[in-house]
Amino acid sequence: MDWALLAESAVNGGLVGLMYSLVAMGIVLIYKSSSVPNLAQGAMTMLGAYVVLAFANNAKAPIWLAIILAIVTMFGVGMAIERVALRRLAGRPIIMILMMTLGLEILLRAGSMTIWGGTGRPMPIGISDDPLFLGPLLINRTYAVGAAVAVAMFALFVLFFRTRMGVVLRAISDDYTAAWSVGISVERGVALSWAMSAVVATIAGVLWASVQGVDQSLAQLLLKGVTVAVLGGLDSIGGALLAGILLGIVEGVAASFLDPLLGGASRDLVDAAMLILTIMVRPHGLFGRHDIERI
Amino acid sequence: MNANTPAKVLSLNNVEVVYDHVSLAIKGVSIDVPEGGMVALLGANGAGKSTTLKSISGLLIAERGEVRRGELQFLGRSIGALSPQERVRLGIAHVLEGRRVFEHLTPDENLIAASAVRGRHDTSRNKERVYSYFPRLHERRTVASGYLSGGEQQMLAIGRALMTQPKLLMLDEPSLGLAPFLVAEIFQIISRINKEEGLSVLLVEQNAVAALEIVSHGYLIESGRIVMHDTAETLKKNPDIREFYLGGAKAKSFHDIKHYSRRKRWLT
Repeated sequence: MDWALLAESAVNGGLVGLMYSLVAMGIVLIYKSSSVPNLAQGAMTMLGAYVVLAFANNAKAPIWLAIILAIVTMFGVGMAIERVALRRLAGRPIIMILMMTLGLEILLRAGSMTIWGGTGRPMPIGISDDPLFLGPLLINRTYAVGAAVAVAMFALFVLFFRTRMGVVLRAISDDYTAAWSVGISVERGVALSWAMSAVVATIAGVLWASVQGVDQSLAQLLLKGVTVAVLGGLDSIGGALLAGILLGIVEGVAASFLDPLLGGASRDLVDAAMLILTIMVRPHGLFGRHDIERI
Repeated sequence: MNANTPAKVLSLNNVEVVYDHVSLAIKGVSIDVPEGGMVALLGANGAGKSTTLKSISGLLIAERGEVRRGELQFLGRSIGALSPQERVRLGIAHVLEGRRVFEHLTPDENLIAASAVRGRHDTSRNKERVYSYFPRLHERRTVASGYLSGGEQQMLAIGRALMTQPKLLMLDEPSLGLAPFLVAEIFQIISRINKEEGLSVLLVEQNAVAALEIVSHGYLIESGRIVMHDTAETLKKNPDIREFYLGGAKAKSFHDIKHYSRRKRWLT
């Protein structure tokens, strides 16, 4: 057993996992404030990255400004999705809304292909490729930055859900009709949750794009996001964080030891196993809320 | 209601509600609630009581229903076109059937969530007021509301409605599934709020016995139509009401039962 390799895979895996958490957090945000599982989160992550590039390359903005402009733009995109696609679905069965988010996913992916083409482009955010040395371990700098951002976003959202607005959003996710009955603007709450989620998606998109470039494959982060969100419990931000670390470590370790044997598919196998086992053994995830049944 | 009664808070005139464009749920309901008054809307399951309340609070949108005909006035203002949020802001509070508290929120958070239309400053004062009416909620303010008892949840649902500073409180079956002593306690608190704050109350009930004890007037609704309206005293004495809604005047022997042939008098 190569202990150094094991430790290195585990640490880098954990950091990558936190970057998965960023994608998962977007899913959790929407679920926690409107009980909708958003299947368009991966595509929104991809769109965020493209919008940053659009500002940086076409409008010649410096990259930091491009990111800020993209965040503002994506906030608007999130609001617009609620207004155009979701508002008329209020009161319909959840399966309709789920299918709508799937439709959005396809639309965003195909739309980006039409506008920007399918060629991968670099996302130069100025993080060096040189590894960090942590004792004998080599740590990827981008992963480290991504992980730090994920932890910061987590702290931000935990605080947010304690504010008045945060309590209102949680109330909406519990019961739309009851929320209406006490004068909560359910539509505006749902719009805000989509907007916040689009912002997180942009941040995740930038970080992931700096790892793997900008193209439609960024949308496949949905699979990681869903796995992490379900494992952590769909409405738990902290759960998304810990589940991300857990999945990342298992994935990283499995990849470095099993890939030579299985030929590169071990990460996806680990994902599939995690998702399926979670749903079979613990459908509420590690920290998800249980539906309260009084007896 | 005759012309020299006090000002009306709420007045429904010939309201008709349709679900999904086809199914007619109430067929021309007219109701008045006087300012500071307490009025009951009585009727059996499926008679249209809840639909009537939802037409007033605007919650029909959650069930794809709409008011197709008739006039809804609140404090002399037509409210038919307003969103539920605007109606709450005007002072209409609807306590839903089955309590519907935000189960994963604590009672304290339930009350905070319900003050979305009022200012931050009012929130703490309103919370004090709710806790003074329902001290038991204060004791349990940090538990997830889903774990409260049925009675406590009903108190929370009423308290939540009070957070919006209503002028009209509409209660949909507050006695549902509660022990008689709790029903008495909750009805007593409702009367107290009515008296102390001059809050008008529209009470929807199947439990006609309990309801007629605290209201001044009652309406009787059957298959979407108001079939009777009178003071609570008169309604209690009405032989048909006694038989169909107050559990019958006397015990019957199954030998001489002719119940099936007995028609309600107002159906002619």
